[in-house]
Amino acid sequence: MTQVTAASKDLAACHVCCKLASSELHHCPRCGAAMHLRKRDSIQRTLALLVTACLLYIPANLYPIMITDQLGQSEGSTILGGVILLIHHGAVPVALVIFLFSVMVPIGKLLSMFYLVWTVKRHSRVTPRQRTVMYQITEFVGKWSMVDVFVVAILVALVHLGGILGIRPGIAALSFAGVVIVTMIAAESFDPRLIWDEMEEQDRGS
Amino acid sequence: MNGDIACHGCDLLVNVAELKEGESASCPRCGHFLTRRRPNAYSKVLAYSVASLILLVLANSFSFLSFGASGLESVITLRETPMAVWKYGMPEVAIMVAAFIIVIPAMILVLLLILCIPLERGRYRPWLIPVAKGIFLTQNWSMVEVFIIGVIVSLVKIAAMATVVLGISFWAYAGFSICFTLAVASLDRYQCWERIEQLGAARA
Repeated sequence: MTQVTAASKDLAACHVCCKLASSELHHCPRCGAAMHLRKRDSIQRTLALLVTACLLYIPANLYPIMITDQLGQSEGSTILGGVILLIHHGAVPVALVIFLFSVMVPIGKLLSMFYLVWTVKRHSRVTPRQRTVMYQITEFVGKWSMVDVFVVAILVALVHLGGILGIRPGIAALSFAGVVIVTMIAAESFDPRLIWDEMEEQDRGS
Repeated sequence: MNGDIACHGCDLLVNVAELKEGESASCPRCGHFLTRRRPNAYSKVLAYSVASLILLVLANSFSFLSFGASGLESVITLRETPMAVWKYGMPEVAIMVAAFIIVIPAMILVLLLILCIPLERGRYRPWLIPVAKGIFLTQNWSMVEVFIIGVIVSLVKIAAMATVVLGISFWAYAGFSICFTLAVASLDRYQCWERIEQLGAARA
């Protein structure tokens, strides 16, 4: 089977409605969304957003994500501090869930997006198909890191008993939510078709 | 070019004109999902949307969780979760939480209803295109299933400190998250837009 891409026939696909139309058009003839052969400045935008996410990730880990006020004493806990505390309390499964969603997923997402951006213009031993799967996983897990922000919101609302016990949100909640949202937009800005464009150019060259 | 679809993962042109009802297509090159022709797709979307809309109203009408220790008790509703964050000086986080768990899902549900009723009855309506655009551009930003996991994690975290009771709203929200996910998943992007185009062409 010969493999023909839409781009080689000068067709652009609308990212909102899947319509195929001449790549010379600026707007989709069916739904009116802006149309491009490839997402515009995909690599630059993705990189800029990834750097933003990395910067936001620093305060997200250094500052407390929530502050517990108990009998007049305030104690802040960071994301990692919370995980360690849970392990000390013997709640290992919850600690693992929080570690997975708040530490592994955001870091893994940043690393895999950097890797994809890095390899897009270079030859890689990882096949384009494997890299596409990697991209799809990154895109899918994106919003799951929000779990920790929701946990903070629920605990803040729920846990307050007169002056005895209360929980306040810490500044890290804001920066961590920022990390999640910015990496989600970064994944959306990346165009996986660029991985395949590179491979086709190499095929044509050889 | 009729029946061609360009893979969103790798731009390969794939012809899906011969796809039969109940079948789905994936890209032969990169494996990306392309489209599925579900039998009675729009009535399924409508059924799930109506169910989740009712459950969302229920989830907003009763107590969500209650927390008690040493004779004191605190009860919250679903709405109070973002409102409490606002009260503690983080309006940005509060707006995000409210948007991801209530506002965006509710908006998508209303849009699904006004999109799928005409599609099911085979009528063209001038709002079909903007409504469908609204759904497909916002559907990634609903986090109802993530919120359910968040509630469960919170419960386990504080279960040792106090007694926590799940309210009616929690169960309604859990049901809502299932129905909502099914409603969104039952609407196929490619098939839906082809249908809108067909109806538009038939009317002209």
